[in-house]
Amino acid sequence: MNIFLLSLCLIVVGGSLPLLTYRRFVLTKFLYALTTTIGCLTGLFALCTSYSHLERLSWSWSWLHTFSLSFTFDSLSFFFLLPIFLICPLAAIYSFHYFDDEEKSFRIAVNLFFTNILIASMILVTTAGNMLTLALVWEIMSVSSFFLVIYDYEKETSRTAGYLYFLFAQAGALIIFASFAVIFSHTASFEFNGAATLPESTKLLVFFLAFIGFGSKAGVFPLHIWLPHAHPAAPSHISAIMSGVMIKMGIYGILRIYFILESTNLLMGQTILVFGMISGVLGVLYALGKHNIKRLLAYHSVENIGIILIGAGLGMIGLSLGDLTMAGFGFGGCLLHVLNHSIFKSLLFMGAGTVIKQTGTAHVDQLGGLMKTMPTTGKSFLVGSVSISGLPPFNGFISEFLIYFAAFIGLQYPPHATLLLTILAIISLAIIGGLASFCFTKVVGIVFLGEPRSKQFTKTTEGGLAMTIPMVILATACLIIGIFPQQFIALAVNGLRDLNGLELLDPALCTAIGAQLALASRLFLLIFVVIFFIRKVLYRKKEITSGPTWGCGFTQGTTRIQYTGTSYARTVVSFFKPFVMLEESTIRLKKIFPGQTTYTNQVGDIAEAGMAKGLTGPLVNLLGRLRWIQHGNVQLYIGYIIMAIMVVLLTLFI
Amino acid sequence: MESILSLGLALLAAPLFPGIILKVKALFVGKKGPPLFIKYYTFVKLLKKGSAYSTSTTFVFAAGPIISCAGAIMVLFFFPIGAIAPVFSFHGDVIVLFYILGLGRFFTIAAALDTASPFQGMGAAREAFFGTLAEASIFAILILFYRMNGSLSFADYFTGLQPISLTSPAGSLLLLVIVSLFMVLLTENSRVPVDDPATHLELTMIHEVMVLDHSGPDLALIELGSFYKLFFYSAFITLMLCPLDPARGLLNLPLFYAVLALVYVAIGFIESVTARFKMRRTPKFILTSCTLVFFAAILTMGFNK
Repeated sequence: MNIFLLSLCLIVVGGSLPLLTYRRFVLTKFLYALTTTIGCLTGLFALCTSYSHLERLSWSWSWLHTFSLSFTFDSLSFFFLLPIFLICPLAAIYSFHYFDDEEKSFRIAVNLFFTNILIASMILVTTAGNMLTLALVWEIMSVSSFFLVIYDYEKETSRTAGYLYFLFAQAGALIIFASFAVIFSHTASFEFNGAATLPESTKLLVFFLAFIGFGSKAGVFPLHIWLPHAHPAAPSHISAIMSGVMIKMGIYGILRIYFILESTNLLMGQTILVFGMISGVLGVLYALGKHNIKRLLAYHSVENIGIILIGAGLGMIGLSLGDLTMAGFGFGGCLLHVLNHSIFKSLLFMGAGTVIKQTGTAHVDQLGGLMKTMPTTGKSFLVGSVSISGLPPFNGFISEFLIYFAAFIGLQYPPHATLLLTILAIISLAIIGGLASFCFTKVVGIVFLGEPRSKQFTKTTEGGLAMTIPMVILATACLIIGIFPQQFIALAVNGLRDLNGLELLDPALCTAIGAQLALASRLFLLIFVVIFFIRKVLYRKKEITSGPTWGCGFTQGTTRIQYTGTSYARTVVSFFKPFVMLEESTIRLKKIFPGQTTYTNQVGDIAEAGMAKGLTGPLVNLLGRLRWIQHGNVQLYIGYIIMAIMVVLLTLFI
Repeated sequence: MESILSLGLALLAAPLFPGIILKVKALFVGKKGPPLFIKYYTFVKLLKKGSAYSTSTTFVFAAGPIISCAGAIMVLFFFPIGAIAPVFSFHGDVIVLFYILGLGRFFTIAAALDTASPFQGMGAAREAFFGTLAEASIFAILILFYRMNGSLSFADYFTGLQPISLTSPAGSLLLLVIVSLFMVLLTENSRVPVDDPATHLELTMIHEVMVLDHSGPDLALIELGSFYKLFFYSAFITLMLCPLDPARGLLNLPLFYAVLALVYVAIGFIESVTARFKMRRTPKFILTSCTLVFFAAILTMGFNK
């Protein structure tokens, strides 16, 4: 008996149960969370017990007697399974208190069902052993997540978001299938193995097609447009799963295709690197300009996918140059960042979900001072923010450090294009880091610190235990990876164990780097603790008073006078003006005692505008011109059919 | 042993040097100026006081000073003061240290936003913006150094086999780096012409306005952190200006501190003869420093042939 199959069954059953028991609301949610958690833990157990011989978990199944659906395990699928099994149960627990509207119980049950279908299909995507299987489970994944996005289907915005997501998912899948078709046309088999024998130019074609297809799922700029629409629409724990785990399936696809092609063409790595840099910098810039907290986090996913791709690109360049250390650090950093991002991003989405649920608004500039009323959420969110900004001693830094390391190794190679790209990669990583901490000081500072900007938020309460506990667990995980990096670096590097052409990094080197990073973060914590206690001693028996903030001689009339997120980010957003379309109203004060004025500011996405202008606009225009064909006259439609049949018959028989 | 001695000396001596800046500025306007030890006096005075906290603040407000001070101290642990091997060092420590300084900035900004004061928010926005730009310059410098001697740690830069110095084959490039790093120093430590620590109008402040609400030992920690940060940047420039032989150990220190004092005199000189830039011009100033190093990094393509 394969324990892994048992875990899959548990997950699917756990998702189906709510459909039967939805009338008993609390019981349903409880059963769901319990079964899903047990299912995921079983899967994790199955993985860990057979870590050294993963191939034993494989199974295959003949479908319709013509195709075989096979599921195989290697180190790469093992690594991508980790976030699925770690994040999804936490999201399931979170949903227990997040879904509390009993009137919508059937809709919630359907949502829970599709959530688990999504979890199961993601597990299958990472283990798919041939192209046909991958195509099938990929479709299940896209469709089930579509139903999750349109949870609030009464809302116009949710339907638009769902439609947009569906378009991108299907167009992406189409392109992925095209790349599989190219492989199939050369090898005449659905197996991945044959792909290495393709001619070099075809490999490039396959790779770029797959990159576009998988990239649209991952949210690579400019194919990220669906992300900032879908995430605000979906329930928060769904955003956590989609952003933390599902978009990583795109990264998995890109890596898988790269490794089955066994190509060492420099162009692949360079392209990935360039798209990584663009996604990273522009993602964080747009995030800065956004006012909706979930949309902001969605843009941060684009940024982090950029960082992951920078790592992958450097790894590919390393392989092409024959430098296995560079390749190891590049891919290692890429994989570790996949894990790290899944942890802190789901933490942040859960935090944002709690804020939205408890206050009823997602607009950053209306909130404030929540740290006092929601301390656990606030502290966990703070930890997540520091981690996502890539600052030590938390986990985001560890993976970024590995990527920096790969980039610095790349600096010694003479081909000028590569050198220039690696220089740009380092500088863009630095800028991404700086802007990310800019953006998260904005979120933490405006939403959680200061004073509430509206009276109604002074009485906000903390979310339920089922919502806070997953966040605390995730926040702890961020710190643990930061303080004990050795094991996790080894884990990420071991994720590359079974891949062709890639020898493992020297374990001694890995341990050394891990030990040094551990030293740095522990030393910092030590200094912090020492100063903390010195401060405590200094404050002993001292007079401590409290009063209002020093308002520079101007006593604060209203809490609305505080800096808002919009004003905080305005300078830097307008600094990057050609890349962000900043539209703002100008304020002119006319009289000596000016009356009320208004100011609005909106940051547009160039990819979205470009796609509207360059692709959908002309397409709609063209199709509009053909509208006369469809006029509603049935007789003429029959005429079309007869004409079509005649044309077919004539071309076939003459 | 030597490393710990020189670290201890640096930790004790760092507050002395900002006094030099004040002295130079006073001499320029024909005053006698405060005593050289003024910063020690203020430090002790602050330690003796209690604190007043705003009712708007949370624990983040108290954490800001501790973290920024801890970060600045941590950097000195890894820096070869006077070309004496530092207490700790590893390949890649420079990246860690600049990120640790970034962590300090994160919490300084968060603490400022915690006070709910619009002025502090304004200062925070400026600090975050300029800090991000300066980070690009710093990493450009790291790239250049890696191209020059293939190392990623402060110890290897100045005490390794191929130390970076003005006299090495590619040493002329360092002239560009020194200018650029000096510009970064002025930015990161809120000196004129980017920021004016002596200004009295909150609207024109950057760093000062962010710490307006801190008092007593908290303010002392912030001041201490800023002394160490300034000390670190100046020491960085000093080691580039005058190549020291690591073998001579503690004997390097007199020359090192003499040149270091000159760097502080230069800061005082700049503060006396220039005025603060308009806010709009500051990004251009920082980007100039980035461009200079980037140009130098491009030039290394020629040297490595």
